[in-house]
Amino acid sequence: MGNVMKRFRIISVVLVAVLIAFIFVVLHMNKNIGEDISSDMAYDKYTINFLDVFDTSTDITGFAASQNDFNKEANLIKEQLTYYNNLYDIYNDYDGLNNIKTINDNAGIQAVEVGPEIIDLLEFGKDMYDLTDGNVNIAMGSVLRIWHEYREYGIANPSNASLPELAELEAAKEHTDINKVIIDKEAMTVYLEDADMSLDVGSIAKGYAVQQVLEYCRNEGMNNILFSVGGNIAGLGGRVDGTNFKIAIQNPNLESADPYIERVEIEDGQCVVSSGDYQRYYEVDGKRYCHIINPDTLYPPETFAGVSILTDDSAKADALSTALFNMTLEEGQKFIESLDNVEAMWVYHDGTVAYSKHFKDYVID
Amino acid sequence: MKKNDIILIICILVVAGLVIAMTRFTNQTKNGDEAVAVVTIDGIEYARYPLDKDVTETIEISDNNYNVISIHDGQCEISDASCPDQICVYHNPIENNGQTIVCLPNRLVVTIENGSDNDIDGATY
Amino acid sequence: MNTKKVAYLGLFIALAFVLSYVEFLLPLSIGIPGAKIGLANLVVMVALYTIGNKNAFLLSLVRVILVGLTFGNLAMMIYSMAGAMLSFLVMIIAKRTKLFSITGVSVLGGVFHNVGQILVAMLVLDTASLIYYLPFLIVIGTISGIVIGVISGMITARVGRLFDIK
Repeated sequence: MGNVMKRFRIISVVLVAVLIAFIFVVLHMNKNIGEDISSDMAYDKYTINFLDVFDTSTDITGFAASQNDFNKEANLIKEQLTYYNNLYDIYNDYDGLNNIKTINDNAGIQAVEVGPEIIDLLEFGKDMYDLTDGNVNIAMGSVLRIWHEYREYGIANPSNASLPELAELEAAKEHTDINKVIIDKEAMTVYLEDADMSLDVGSIAKGYAVQQVLEYCRNEGMNNILFSVGGNIAGLGGRVDGTNFKIAIQNPNLESADPYIERVEIEDGQCVVSSGDYQRYYEVDGKRYCHIINPDTLYPPETFAGVSILTDDSAKADALSTALFNMTLEEGQKFIESLDNVEAMWVYHDGTVAYSKHFKDYVID
Repeated sequence: MKKNDIILIICILVVAGLVIAMTRFTNQTKNGDEAVAVVTIDGIEYARYPLDKDVTETIEISDNNYNVISIHDGQCEISDASCPDQICVYHNPIENNGQTIVCLPNRLVVTIENGSDNDIDGATY
Repeated sequence: MNTKKVAYLGLFIALAFVLSYVEFLLPLSIGIPGAKIGLANLVVMVALYTIGNKNAFLLSLVRVILVGLTFGNLAMMIYSMAGAMLSFLVMIIAKRTKLFSITGVSVLGGVFHNVGQILVAMLVLDTASLIYYLPFLIVIGTISGIVIGVISGMITARVGRLFDIK
């Protein structure tokens, strides 16, 4: 009897030990399995597309257990983007909202009270002006407006498309002094001293908004989201399986058999932005004139077909891609070298490509 | 424990293992449905075109605005459009999951669903 | 139902409740609805082999409701209820057939607990892809079923004679 009891006791001790060990193993294993299978199986990849913000096409890609779950997050993101779109709009008024257009409308008249989102954007614009030696100028609205009108007319009436006169552009250039954008951070107002000047934040607003929304999402506890707002791409986390997001960079030569010129991997918080002459442009006498205007020559730069930036701040990436588009390769390379954590790729019209020192570290072979 | 218990446990584990192996193996094609080009206008779904059936169709948007969608060789492209910028027409044909052609002026978007995976999460433009 | 039965049932429910709490304390959040060790099933198993099917069923039902109300939310309670009921049904059938020992019955219970939960989760969340979790859950259910089956077998063998109430 005693022997049997002893054996029972030993067996029960062993079993309890096994149970405890089992609990730990399961806990540990589950973590891995959980990540593993959530990527492959229960979490599907979803993308929504909408055309409502920044006059371009937006794709939000994420991973969720169901379409409903994904839509909840996507709608929050869309709401945020719409909010920034309205604030940074230069063409439309919104009820009860002072935006960039309000500031422009009051140029030379009065200071306009605005929210911190606009103050911060304009301060960032000034920083970028200094950083890029004037190659990115948010106070160039007067010049860009002329090009905008000629381009819109030229796209609608290709046979009558024409170029603005240099004299007209030079007259407008007189009203592009960024120092006349007076930002009063105490009173939270912005005033344009020159009545004929206007802000055009097109070179930074999309990227800036994407960066803000990405940070908003991070604070809300979201993860594994890829933002693509008119080709301003930024990743929050990576794919749900723990690997990096993979981004294709559009081939500026749209007729090429290969739609992508390069594929890159981006880590959490990194972004890719391209500027090029292939999306927004018009043609005069068979020659292409794109939407980016060099602040010095007042004409579209012709050196590159496209420039891409890979860095860790979408706003900066947006501004830098415009700046590089305006520079020569040598200037651009030197400029990029002087910055931390910024890589660039230049594509010429004949398809030849130049890279900054470490761009290729991100390229997928 | 009875012999039957052991048999039961082994059976369950084998079946579960097989299922895991199978889903692993066929994971790529778990959306076994056929590839389609989904056309939306202003965010509202307009039509779906299977990529395995060649077809050319004019999509009327409104007052003389249109896009001509053309499916051939398992690819989808916009072959003609009324929009002034013609960006959608210049766009390469698409066939991979998630690829899109956007015509901003006509507010038309073509997206591939259930296409083959090109291992790309997004593209600049 | 005599006093003895009520007392035993109460005891079992308390025990199951405590074990559910212990399991709740373990940080087992892996995003898979239904992945559980099922410690409380130990009590259900012992009950099934000592105080009878009906009482064991009652125990299972009350446990789910109590635990759901105390620690969980409605969704959790629905999943757990589905799992508990399906697993109980299968266990009773398995026990009736006399094909399996307490271990086999426990394994089937563990497996179908997970199956039930995931099926309901699929319905509620409208997500067919959850089914890809199932094989993993079945493996987990089998392993925990074996351990719980063996332990409850030992318990039943040693204390079963006390419950002379069928």
